[in-house]
Amino acid sequence: MTAIPMPLTPATRLWRDAPAFTGVALFIALTALPLLAAALIDDRTLLGAPVWQKPLQFHLALGIYLITLAFFARFVPGGLQSPRWRMYAGVVCFCIVAELVWVGGAASFATASHFNTDDAVMGTVYGVMGLFALVLTSASAVIGVAIWRNANTGLAPALHLSVAMGLVLTFVLTLIVAGTLSSMPGHHVGTPVTGDALPLLGWSREVGDLRVGHFFATHALHILPVAGYIAARLLAPAMARVAVVAAALAYAGLVFGTMAQAFRGQPFLSWLG
Amino acid sequence: MSPDSAFQPDSLFQIANPVALLGWIALIFAPLAPRISDAVASLVIPLLMGLAYSALILAHWAGATGGYSSLPDVMALFINPHIALAGWVHYLAFDLFVGAWAVRTARDERISHVLVLPHLALIFLFGPAGFLTFHAMRAAFRLRANAAGATS
Repeated sequence: MTAIPMPLTPATRLWRDAPAFTGVALFIALTALPLLAAALIDDRTLLGAPVWQKPLQFHLALGIYLITLAFFARFVPGGLQSPRWRMYAGVVCFCIVAELVWVGGAASFATASHFNTDDAVMGTVYGVMGLFALVLTSASAVIGVAIWRNANTGLAPALHLSVAMGLVLTFVLTLIVAGTLSSMPGHHVGTPVTGDALPLLGWSREVGDLRVGHFFATHALHILPVAGYIAARLLAPAMARVAVVAAALAYAGLVFGTMAQAFRGQPFLSWLG
Repeated sequence: MSPDSAFQPDSLFQIANPVALLGWIALIFAPLAPRISDAVASLVIPLLMGLAYSALILAHWAGATGGYSSLPDVMALFINPHIALAGWVHYLAFDLFVGAWAVRTARDERISHVLVLPHLALIFLFGPAGFLTFHAMRAAFRLRANAAGATS
């Protein structure tokens, strides 16, 4: 009897290449539902924002992060299925779930998670969560390097380069921006803060907001592959690779530019929305 | 986000009761559509209740006085209408789930559904008491089966 190869749907592909990341992404999406329900009946606010806004943003952001890594896992030889990859993925998933429990738990008490140094226990937990954030972000660099070293991804050279650079840049830029952010007393630079902010993203329309740079740093793994895809389609291979490197430099410039803007106390795109 | 009037404890209570009742009606008529009634009473409605319960706890546990460690602490918890509602939703969800389990177990063990109905009524009104009487009936059926096996 010959085995009939099963057609791989996008979903089964994710499950095969990165089972832990795919499963935890789904779990994170489903556990956002009770938070959404809580947001409907809870009128408490923290720093001018509804208390459940931040946990919901974290569920959304980390869910997208995991699904993106699970998608790119197809360009790692053998996916993330070896025992070593599984162990590493398990540690990353543990850190992600711990971050969500921490942010959600703090929200349920209408208290700060990040920058909470008023309370001894919460201050210690904040430090540990910084370490966990480093571990969970390292996944993008580790997968990025593995893709970089894989000569048989089947991708056009420029696209291959852009995927690897996007993943590595997500780690490097996030490390710089979030590291700087955590050394500040809070994410706002300037006064007065009355709570006027962009919808969904929550960035201040009034003062500098260091979370803008964090957002762009973390999304390098989405933006650069798009640039690489377009470059590979439109340009000759050699030119396309140059374009990808230029795009990476420009993108890093954007991240540092938004960061500098925030440090000057200026809001980002305050006219939006 | 200001709370809509629909989400006040009283109005949520008014919604939760008929929803639970729907599950119990499904269980009463379970022999007509076993799979549907089982899905509704042991999964869909308990999950909806779980969602409402979780939301109430996430939003109101921190603001409640009392706790789990002494009877006065537990009584203090229920002074808060949101927590009292959460407790009620907890009853509704788990009683229904146990009712669905009884119906399913009786079906698997070939106990007539008509005989389960009085226990369902008891689980509906006084959860653990019905759980007790249903087990007593199961034990009786099992002893009878054993006796029949021994004599044949």
